[in-house]
Amino acid sequence: MTVTPVAPHEPEPVVYARARSPGIRWATLFHRDESLGYILLAPGFIILALLMAYPFVYAVFLSFTSKRIGGPATFVGWENYAKLASTDLYWKTIWNSIYYTVVALVFKFVGGLGLAVMLNRPFVGQRLAKALLLLPWIIPTVFSTLIWWWLFDPAFSVINEVLVVKWKLLSKPIPFLTDGNTAMASLIMVNVWRGVPFFGISFLAAMQAVPDELLEAARVDGATPWRTFWSITFPLIVPVVGVVALISTIGTLGDFDLPFLLTRGGPNDATTMFAVTAYTLSLSSGLIGLGAAVSMTMFPLLAILVVVSLLQVRQRQGVS
Amino acid sequence: MAESTAIQLKRRQGLVAVVLRRLRGEVPFYLLLLFVSFLLLFPFYWGFITSLKFEKEIFDFTGNLLWVKNPSLANYQTLFKTPRFFIWLRNTMLVSTVTTVLSVIVSIMAGYSIARLKFRGVTAASVIVFVTYLAPKGLLFVPLAQILNDWSLLGGLPALMITYPTFLIPFCTWLLSGYFSNVPVEPEECAMIDGASRIGAIIRVTLPMAWPGILTAAIFSFTLSWNELLYSLAFVRGEENRLLTNGVMSAFARSDIYFWGPLMAASTLASVPVALLYFLFMDRFVSGITAGATKG
Repeated sequence: MTVTPVAPHEPEPVVYARARSPGIRWATLFHRDESLGYILLAPGFIILALLMAYPFVYAVFLSFTSKRIGGPATFVGWENYAKLASTDLYWKTIWNSIYYTVVALVFKFVGGLGLAVMLNRPFVGQRLAKALLLLPWIIPTVFSTLIWWWLFDPAFSVINEVLVVKWKLLSKPIPFLTDGNTAMASLIMVNVWRGVPFFGISFLAAMQAVPDELLEAARVDGATPWRTFWSITFPLIVPVVGVVALISTIGTLGDFDLPFLLTRGGPNDATTMFAVTAYTLSLSSGLIGLGAAVSMTMFPLLAILVVVSLLQVRQRQGVS
Repeated sequence: MAESTAIQLKRRQGLVAVVLRRLRGEVPFYLLLLFVSFLLLFPFYWGFITSLKFEKEIFDFTGNLLWVKNPSLANYQTLFKTPRFFIWLRNTMLVSTVTTVLSVIVSIMAGYSIARLKFRGVTAASVIVFVTYLAPKGLLFVPLAQILNDWSLLGGLPALMITYPTFLIPFCTWLLSGYFSNVPVEPEECAMIDGASRIGAIIRVTLPMAWPGILTAAIFSFTLSWNELLYSLAFVRGEENRLLTNGVMSAFARSDIYFWGPLMAASTLASVPVALLYFLFMDRFVSGITAGATKG
């Protein structure tokens, strides 16, 4: 069987064709999936490579050097990590970040579920209520945190005024941001206040996607609303609930705005967290190597969370 | 005749009774709704009424706390008369606009590519986008400051214009790829059969259909830039280069003296445009978030 290569559409003078009209080759490049795919991805991925991948590698490198602002980057091995491990600040940073993230997550989750259940019924003004209740999440953090700062004012807090003077529920004012324990509780409170609407509205959207027939069938079978929720609605919204919770956890672990604005990590490092400690060490004190090492400590935790999120999203894609 | 009106009247009374009974059943629900709304919205109200008070009244807690005795716009005047206020506003607008336009264009390309094209590595690309979306800013600002310094960009607004896209592009690409995969393919194919080039078909046929998604991405990007704090604190130096957020704070929250009036006026002013945008496009935001959350 002899093959006579006859290719009428792809004649030999490719070079000739290119020479005569370069447009043809460009048109193919921009036409075929194989090439167009990469062309369209290129700008975004170049930016991400230069400003995320490269900084990440650079951060790992810096965390093993004694770099200070304006100074040379001398390799020192694990010295930064060893130095950090011998300080209270480092352990406080790790503990505070995890505590803040976990406690806030529990409250946001429960609150969000409650909010979604409350709004998941027809009532007069539902649209308006949904829009208004989402406000804490959409108003820029910096500005809403400023308001909380004022609400937490040590001498003129309206919350204390009402609780202590007007209603006489407390004998002395709450030291919102000036005492270590209450400062952490206050930060968690503001984080929850900001997060509950986001959790609630996402959960609500997922609940409204639950087919009515299933709920109707459960009702006909005599299931209580409580039972229906946990046996039908909840399992069906778990994928959305899980992704929302994971995204929020990752964001909270790396949070900077709230602890920085309200307490700067104080009093006495009681509320310092990864981003705040890294900021004070590297940018305020100029110890870039140490600051990078603090940021890098966050990485293993983040990596685990990211892998779990990925698996969850992929599983979900497989289902739908 | 008289009988029928009597029946009608009775029916109407019955209707009123039913409505009343149903409303009474709803009372606990509305009370709960009111309570939750109060918890979530009181801070904004308190900030707003503080912005309308004179210094003396701000620290005076006698009388009705939920009302303003002598409302005035003095705090807003103070705010506008702050030296450089309009420079900060211009900086913020400039940085937000440039980064939004850049990020949305780049993300339309990447999002389309991931959602619609078949090529080797497309799955890896979507995973990378998701992972970069999750990376918190707290992880990379230390090396970024150093890199910007190496490139002699540290200190000025361009530092923000090139670093804001690092959190905007992953987010917008993620959102838009979810959106593009729901836009039908056929119109684009028809346009190509009619002789349009592929790029031409994408721009003239597919993009207009994806308009709501693109708008959502743009608004999200703009508000995320408007909201940014860490990078603008870490990468920018000098009074002239401040953005509204840290500018306002540096002007009215000096060491331990806080000028709550102007601070609350600034909070109110900065919040209103964002809130309005979200009210107008809320349904799209919610579906955008969940489409993102379920599509990846």
